[in-house]
Amino acid sequence: MLRNYKWFLGSLLLLVNLFGQVKLSVKTIPKKVNIMLDGINIGKSPIINDRITPGIHKFEIAKSGFAPITYDILVNPSQAVHLDFFMNPIYQVKFKTQEKGLVFELNGEHLWDDPFIRLDLEAGDHFLRVFKLNEIIDEQTIHVDEPKKFNYYLKKLISEK
Amino acid sequence: MKKLPQYFLFLFLGSLYSANLESTFLVLNHFDKFLPNADSSLIENFSNSTFEFDSTFHILFEDIDNHANPASSHMVTIKELGEKYQVNYILFNRIEHIDDRFILNGLLFNTRSGGLIHRRKVDLKQYLNGQINELNMWVGNTVGQVEKKWENNRKSILFSNPEEINYEKTPRGAAIRSLVAPGWGQLYSDKKVSAGVWAGTESTLSLAVLISFLNYDAAAKSYKSNLTLYNETDDEKEVAKYRTNAESDWDDHVRFSALAIAFAGATGTGWVANSIHAWIVGPRPYKNLYQKWNPKSPNTTG
Repeated sequence: MLRNYKWFLGSLLLLVNLFGQVKLSVKTIPKKVNIMLDGINIGKSPIINDRITPGIHKFEIAKSGFAPITYDILVNPSQAVHLDFFMNPIYQVKFKTQEKGLVFELNGEHLWDDPFIRLDLEAGDHFLRVFKLNEIIDEQTIHVDEPKKFNYYLKKLISEK
Repeated sequence: MKKLPQYFLFLFLGSLYSANLESTFLVLNHFDKFLPNADSSLIENFSNSTFEFDSTFHILFEDIDNHANPASSHMVTIKELGEKYQVNYILFNRIEHIDDRFILNGLLFNTRSGGLIHRRKVDLKQYLNGQINELNMWVGNTVGQVEKKWENNRKSILFSNPEEINYEKTPRGAAIRSLVAPGWGQLYSDKKVSAGVWAGTESTLSLAVLISFLNYDAAAKSYKSNLTLYNETDDEKEVAKYRTNAESDWDDHVRFSALAIAFAGATGTGWVANSIHAWIVGPRPYKNLYQKWNPKSPNTTG
């Protein structure tokens, strides 16, 4: 009987080690977002008391209207992992100027010279650089906190002085 | 095998005893920036727990992920600290700021076993005013006491879901108002000139419709009257007079009818156009950006 008992405990330990014992909780803002773990959909957030095997894993979280999140994590044995993902919304932004001959660059990567464009921008600060005749004439940070229209002027309007 | 029930009884009583223990924490805060009120906030918010603070041990946990088994990597030290400070748990909080990101790495160790029992990672962009709130939420999770106000505070700091943003004034509100009364939507959007133009145009057109209709009505009545008189008389002169009058009334009635229809059409079309215009020029959030004349020191606008 004692032998069987040891065998049972040994098997249990082996199973636990084989299938992993790391408790996983994933919460997101907004809620009800599909969570992909290593390419497999593990359900919608919040995920509570799920299990994850130790090792390197990749979380992919995507929802329409929000910037997708890819998160690599090294899960160590014997620990509970609680992950909070706060998704950053993407706002539809219009950018307009009546000035002539300006070239705009956003975050050092997007360039345009159109007087009016629509942009999908992640909420937060973005770095705007303005060129005229290949020279930088302006640099500033624009704060995007809602879907809005930006009107760019070289000089302040008389009504706002 | 006979010892098995005793073992479970011991386990059960042990769990019961540990559940009744008061939570005492040694808090090891390691923040890359000074966060005022971080310690006092924990003491105030978790009056059922006892906190000891010491920030000299953070180096111990810096390389925790490099260990083969981080959960048990510092068992001896954790137990020693537990005995020294007479605490049940050791809570290590590391807060880092990288550009506009705020990273909270929380580790909770049990001093009885020396093992890592909980770990929380929060990695946020543009959430630079919420460190204390997140610290409270993390500690609240560990002691099972998360207050609604912290959740609401987190929600207020985070950027809003585009679908959940409610504006006081909307283009739709402007369009509806202009549909009720031309120019009202434009006025609601602070477009006073166009409000005046639309209200004036629509009023003039409506007045024109009314005048045309009244003239049409008068001409129709006069025509009927002259027709009756024409039919009732045998006098040659009167017949000629009523005939001429009736013919004139007929022409007037046709003309004013056409005018009333044209003006009514123009009024209706203008009314709808005014509503569409109100929607187009309706209130939408905007921001005027002006050139900063010193490109070497960019400033934040917003």
